Amino acid sequence: MTDSPATDQAAVFRRLRVRLLRNALQSLGTNGRVKLATLCGTSLLAAGFVFGIARYGFQELFRYNVPLKGLIVGGLFDLLFFTLGGMLVISTGIILYASLFTSPEARFLLTTPARADRVFATKFQAAVGFSSWAFVVLGVPILVAYGSVAGVPGYYYLLLPAYLLGFVLLPGSVSSLAALLLVRFLPRNRKQALLLLGAVAALLAGAWGVRLVLSLRQTARAADKEAVAGLIGQFALAQSSLVPSHWMTNGLMAAARNDLPAALVPLALLWSNGLALFTLAAWGAKRVYRTGFDRATDGGRGKKTFRHSPLDRVMSALVFYLDRPTRVLVLKDFRTFRRDPTQWVLLAIFGGMVLIGGLQLRNISQSDLATLEKYAVSLANVGATSVLLCAVLSRFVFPLISLEGRKFWILGLVPISRNQILRGKFAFAATLSVVLAEGLILISDLLLELPAVVVLVHAVTLLAVAVGLSGLNVGLGAYMPNFRETDPSKIVVGFGGTVNMMIGLCYLVLVVGISAGPLHAAAVAAKYQTGQLSVEGSALPLWAFAGVPVALALAAVATVIPLRAGGRALRAVEF
Amino acid sequence: MIELIDVTKSYGPKVAVQNLTLTVPPGELFAFLGPNGAGKTTTIKLVCGLLFPTAGTVRVGGFDVVTHGDRARALVSYVPDQPFLYEKLTGREFLQFIADLYGMDPGRARDRLATVIQQFHLHEFVDDLTERYSHGMRQRTVFASALLHEPKLLIADEPTVGLDPKSVRELKILLRDLARTGVTVFLSTHTLDIAQELADRIGILDRGRLLGCGTLADLRKQAASDGNLEDLFLKITEAP
Repeated sequence: MTDSPATDQAAVFRRLRVRLLRNALQSLGTNGRVKLATLCGTSLLAAGFVFGIARYGFQELFRYNVPLKGLIVGGLFDLLFFTLGGMLVISTGIILYASLFTSPEARFLLTTPARADRVFATKFQAAVGFSSWAFVVLGVPILVAYGSVAGVPGYYYLLLPAYLLGFVLLPGSVSSLAALLLVRFLPRNRKQALLLLGAVAALLAGAWGVRLVLSLRQTARAADKEAVAGLIGQFALAQSSLVPSHWMTNGLMAAARNDLPAALVPLALLWSNGLALFTLAAWGAKRVYRTGFDRATDGGRGKKTFRHSPLDRVMSALVFYLDRPTRVLVLKDFRTFRRDPTQWVLLAIFGGMVLIGGLQLRNISQSDLATLEKYAVSLANVGATSVLLCAVLSRFVFPLISLEGRKFWILGLVPISRNQILRGKFAFAATLSVVLAEGLILISDLLLELPAVVVLVHAVTLLAVAVGLSGLNVGLGAYMPNFRETDPSKIVVGFGGTVNMMIGLCYLVLVVGISAGPLHAAAVAAKYQTGQLSVEGSALPLWAFAGVPVALALAAVATVIPLRAGGRALRAVEF
Repeated sequence: MIELIDVTKSYGPKVAVQNLTLTVPPGELFAFLGPNGAGKTTTIKLVCGLLFPTAGTVRVGGFDVVTHGDRARALVSYVPDQPFLYEKLTGREFLQFIADLYGMDPGRARDRLATVIQQFHLHEFVDDLTERYSHGMRQRTVFASALLHEPKLLIADEPTVGLDPKSVRELKILLRDLARTGVTVFLSTHTLDIAQELADRIGILDRGRLLGCGTLADLRKQAASDGNLEDLFLKITEAP
């Protein structure tokens, strides 16, 4: 006889989460100590790195007593929280969509008496936890660094967890509400509608970024109060009193000034609004989750015929140096990639933003961009392209081995070795990323009318970044696979994905700093010594190029070691 | 126990189930047959309340699954073709979670846990994490969880896939015993021998339409054939 389902489901799901967490930690403690140590070590390393950079920046600001430094720090915090909040909206939304509408667990729970809002709340907490991982690793060190430089009272540090927890509730609730409503009420071609919305949002962000660059340039020249105010004015949206990121900034700055009442009001605002929005989202879930699930299951099943594409032939030609079986594997990955719009549209949006930035800078250079600034801008382009590569490879290449998962036996039975499989994935990642990176940097450098030697150094730098990051992502993806997860976004923001992202960021900073840094330093030195900027061939000292072979050696190390480690791990796996 | 009244379910332009009317009384073992893509799993999901009909009414134990879904689902247990288990729970913890979720009294939950562990021979592995289970172990654990709260209706989608002959034999005895004790069993399968051996009535679905429904004798009459269920199935589904 079935009992009444009128039970305390919150307690049931709380016990479930506690058991899952306890068992996962026990399992990691007994079977994966090396992995656990690597994960903790790299997270600490990344947090330490961010802390060091942030502390240095704040110290400089305080040492030279820059005018309106409080305003600048406030503006930077606004920008930081606004950007991280935006990223949290997107990442939580994607994870929650997959958890609520496509996961086997959701299908299972919806056939039980579990209430829709309770299932939603459980998945919400998991999604926010997953997506906030990077926020904590990146955000906390910056705030602690500011506290250590500004000499804040002790309760500033105690309030940090409360602020961060309160803040992540808001973007999580917004994105979950959006996910529920979009799935429930959007027309059948919702994928296209979502992509269109994403593209518009990305273009708006790009336009804002260009305005910001222009304002920064003006500030660097004038360095007066009006220019600083102009720069800060670019953050007007992030500084609106209605935006939660501004509440975060206000509260933390008040705590730093030892003004406890002024620090607690924004905290209360964050929590009350976060909880109110979460309650609204849970209420919405109670009403539309089950019908939304029904729509997600039956939506947009038009019959579509997939055929060969000329792009397949281009991809095949690009990896002509591989043997035929490995080339076939590369083509398989490429077809999977190009048939999933959520993958290539994101890449197209980010690539487009870099190009739009380049075109805007072309207009500037034609008018009044000083030669020295061209070098600064081109170095920023190299950095931006490297970060773009890091993000794209972490998102799309790192999960490749994990996603083979339980169907790995298909590859396991074909007459090629597991090392060949890894080499194929590496060739796929390296080829596409080299083409993308070199294309972007050549276009933007030529638009800036930089000398050939600078373009060449940039091209070699990005070659090292693209090849090294491809090796890291494929190798670490095989070394730390997650065969049980079918959602790539969860693989990316999980422990392995976070470690991979951190190592990738450290690697690109190292390579760009070593390879392109000396050239730009030499250019600046030439400007101040001679009054002229001359980087044509022999005019530059030899040390300006000394980092290039080191960067290439680093790329070789970043490729060989992870691929070997990943190959060993993959050979040891039994399917 | 199950009432489907003129039910249609569409996936966009594709109609998966069309004007299906079917009644399964309490204590009946009903087998649902049909080629791949016939609409069997969609019908099962409609009965479980996982999907909602585009048109028509689905009732379980008298409760409409759209308007009184919680009441209806409390009566049902569903064993899908690809069962779900939390990888980082032990079998015992998973069973306890199910007992809690269905609001079982702690004493009764304890007794039922001991019963199903014995019934499905889970002793050897019930305290291991389910991530280490073989397919057969998973299937037995899922059946144990499905019967833990003593449902009024058990729905099983391809329950014998991946089971060894002994387990299949035990499952057949179990399903028959359940029906004898008044539990309605709704079974979807491609294994015609099992349907022929166990089912009180058989429904044959093709391209979303119920082509035949009744006892083996009824189906023989409809197909004008004295053959076994395989012959009848092919004759009915291949008829123009």
